[in-house]
Amino acid sequence: MSTPTEVLVLDDEPLVCERLKEHLERKKYRVEVFTESQKAVSRLAEKRFDVVVTDLKMEGPNGLEVLRFVRDQSFGTQVIIITGYGSMDSAREAEYSGAFEFVHKPFRAERLEATVRKAARAARKLADQGAP
Amino acid sequence: MATAPVLRALLTRKRNATVEEVRETLHRFRSLVEQNDRVLELIADAGEKLGGEYVFDSKYLYDLAEGLRGAAHSVVTTLNAISNDRYPELLDALAAIDESVQAALECRLVVPEGPYVLPLAEVGLPNLEAVGAKMARLGEVKSRLGCTVPEAFVVTTHACRDFLRSAGLLEAAEILRRRFAEGREDIEDECARIRQEILEAPVPRKIARAIRRGVARLAKPGEKDLLLAVRSSGIEEDGEMSFAGQYESVLGVPVDGVCAAWRRVVASLYAPEVLRYLRRYEVPPGCGFMAVGVMRMVPVRASGVIYTLDPSAPENNVLVVSAARGLGKLVVEGGAPVDRLEISREPGHEVVSAHLARKELMYVAVPGRGAVVEAVPEAERLEPAVAPWELVQLAETACRIEQYMKSAQDIEWAIDHTGQLHILQARPLRVTAATKPPERDLTDVVGRYPVLIKGRGEVACRGIGSGPVRIVADPEELPARIPPGSVIVARAATPRLGGLLAGASAVITDLGNATGHFATVARELRVPAIVGTESATQTLVEGEEVTLDAEDNVVYGGRVEALLRYQLFERSSFADAAEFRILRRMLRRIAPLGLRDPTSPTFSAKRCTTYHDVIRFAHEKAIAELTEIGWVSTPSGVPWVRRLDLPIPLDLILIDLGGGFRVDAGTATVGAKDLTSRPLLPVLAELTVGGAWETAPADMDLEGFMSSATRSMPLTGGLTGRPEQNLAIVSKEYLHLSLRLGYHFNIVDTHLGDTPSDNYIYFRFVGGVTEITRRSRRAMLLKRILESHGFVAEGRGDLVVGRIKSLDADAMVHRLRMVGRLIGFTRQLDIHLRSDHLVDEYVERFLNGEAASPKV
Repeated sequence: MSTPTEVLVLDDEPLVCERLKEHLERKKYRVEVFTESQKAVSRLAEKRFDVVVTDLKMEGPNGLEVLRFVRDQSFGTQVIIITGYGSMDSAREAEYSGAFEFVHKPFRAERLEATVRKAARAARKLADQGAP
Repeated sequence: MATAPVLRALLTRKRNATVEEVRETLHRFRSLVEQNDRVLELIADAGEKLGGEYVFDSKYLYDLAEGLRGAAHSVVTTLNAISNDRYPELLDALAAIDESVQAALECRLVVPEGPYVLPLAEVGLPNLEAVGAKMARLGEVKSRLGCTVPEAFVVTTHACRDFLRSAGLLEAAEILRRRFAEGREDIEDECARIRQEILEAPVPRKIARAIRRGVARLAKPGEKDLLLAVRSSGIEEDGEMSFAGQYESVLGVPVDGVCAAWRRVVASLYAPEVLRYLRRYEVPPGCGFMAVGVMRMVPVRASGVIYTLDPSAPENNVLVVSAARGLGKLVVEGGAPVDRLEISREPGHEVVSAHLARKELMYVAVPGRGAVVEAVPEAERLEPAVAPWELVQLAETACRIEQYMKSAQDIEWAIDHTGQLHILQARPLRVTAATKPPERDLTDVVGRYPVLIKGRGEVACRGIGSGPVRIVADPEELPARIPPGSVIVARAATPRLGGLLAGASAVITDLGNATGHFATVARELRVPAIVGTESATQTLVEGEEVTLDAEDNVVYGGRVEALLRYQLFERSSFADAAEFRILRRMLRRIAPLGLRDPTSPTFSAKRCTTYHDVIRFAHEKAIAELTEIGWVSTPSGVPWVRRLDLPIPLDLILIDLGGGFRVDAGTATVGAKDLTSRPLLPVLAELTVGGAWETAPADMDLEGFMSSATRSMPLTGGLTGRPEQNLAIVSKEYLHLSLRLGYHFNIVDTHLGDTPSDNYIYFRFVGGVTEITRRSRRAMLLKRILESHGFVAEGRGDLVVGRIKSLDADAMVHRLRMVGRLIGFTRQLDIHLRSDHLVDEYVERFLNGEAASPKV
């Protein structure tokens, strides 16, 4: 049996975190959720995740900063950015900065899960390539 | 007061309008339609979010409220601009809706004004805030499903608020709330004091009188020992805060003790156990008001609880029953052993397992003493509390309630000494997220059940529903109600059909689209729906059991239990999340459509209680305003007004809003070759075909002649006394055609462009030269022809309104040609429609492409 995909979810709305955790765990992902980005960044510094799902606008380090942190720290980890309406410019910037994909709120949980699955595949592939 | 609108109407209607005014009105109308569609889109979108598969945050809810408020206000403001402020009261209605939606958004309670007491027959989910969740659901179970429910009435939240206010306790509650917010621990004493004051405060005379009257209605003539149950019905419904068992219920209450019992139940708002419960959820005490149900006590032999799903193992296909002798208090309090049974969910409902307890005690209601514990006679202690045939009846009823409520249920029931089953309460069964869900597995389904329809039409409301097919072919001949649990299969998706949906388990239509009023009602009531299948009424058979899977857009023959169970779990598991509760409450104030019938006297601004009502009302009235555009002064020399040169005797003035026709500066007329308005061309192409415009007067019999001679001229002459014009207000992609041909009046308002979602045709026809019967026949004929071309049509008397939208350009051209031909075809047809069967004949002629050339 393969090891479960590790996902970190970061959104300042507890409701969104709960729903995503519930949905992803049902699909057999191993999920950690954070509502404060500083705590999420600390966790990212100590553990490698396959996929990070983060909101864009938050207090403390925002989604773009989290993305940059992951790029620098964690080889292969893919970042999916969640955006609200009216954040298109930041979303584009996120794409240029190397986000795997961005998803607009509100979104179908199923759709996000499909994106996480794709991102996890990409993460594994990169990790395999990068492995000594 | 009543003369003011009449006077205004006289001053404003039928006056000469300038072309600029008409252009302005039309521009405004277009903007109203756009905002109207925006509201419908937002409602549809929110309904979809409630389906459970979306993730959204509180910002979405705020954006939704703001978007709806903005669009609805724009609709109303525009209507008032078009109508010379004819509907100021619509602004009041709108303000009330805004406030109510905002309250839902902020989780504030708005106590609805209204009677202090409501009989159960008038109680249902729409007045949940007045009657509380428990009684609202019980009202639905009684009136919608026809289950036997004890006779009852509800003392409303309004009565509770007025009582607390008269006792001077609203301020005390506020102080308590503040202390709680400050995190103070010493509020128990304050709660106890308030509770005591409630118990001692006199019930205001008006409330006491209303309660006494309610009780008197429950008593049979001469009945002395009437015993009542006085039960809490909190409004904090179906969330994680079910308050199950927290508030007080008083059993065995005599007639003269009801007011005191009501006070006891109200006082339980401040009970210590409620306070502890609230602390767990960080909710301050006393922020709610209590509705209270007062019901006749049933002399019970046995009672208990049934779950329609085993919460600990939903994959097992069973219902779970707990049963005791006597009153159900023993079951809900869990104080003594009771029978526990598992029954199959499949029809037939066989007992899967039974654990029969030795039942030594039972509760009975005793006058003057309430619920009292008694010993069960020794010989009966090992007897099952419920007979096997009673279990089957109980299971069938529970499944019906579950099907109607569309989620797994936790139902309290009782069986009296005659064997009659009574439902005492039905609420959603709490299913925890930790419970393992059944997988949606279609491998078993495919192959076992025949696929009757697949991939036809559009999904208007996702979900899965099953039941016997009930075909509603004629939208005019709607049955008053349908058997609950039916799958409605209808020709057209009209708003009036929406009135039947409450008890349906699914709906499939031949015509219609997923953004119409009907689809909105389906989503509001969460009835799985597919619209626009074109032929479901032909494919499906009356009475046949089918399952609609509106997740994958498939109709299976038979009852696909695996799909139904999957859906039950899905719905039960997400329904608890806070944002879903808020959205659900918001939607109750947004989506229900009360104003369904424009010809009803209740179709008024004052009756608008949701945004959906507001836009439906405004749209209908805006159209009515357009029909009142009278004589337009047509200045010579401006390039955007011309008379159309036609080969038929139709005097048509063209007003161009931009891109509608090319002009030659020197001429006062334009010919067909100069027209560039896309929607006008197909209409004219068929309108002017030969035969329809013979100038010879139609033969008329004496009856028809007398009727035409005595008819007044409201549709033709207007106040000016001169014949009114035929107008075509056009742009490149828009046409507003207003024709006054003889005594009838025809409007076609349409948009034809390359984006299907922007396209629509609105067709309105009223009047005629003959008496109402013949005019109605022509209306019937028009309606049938429109419907046969996919229009959703409504008709009353000699009025017909047909609508169709979201067609691609080719389909639009096809329909507009048909409309053109129809106008010519039916021009004087009412004169000839001397009997009903002639309607069939002329419909046939039209559909066969024959010329009108009426046979006389």
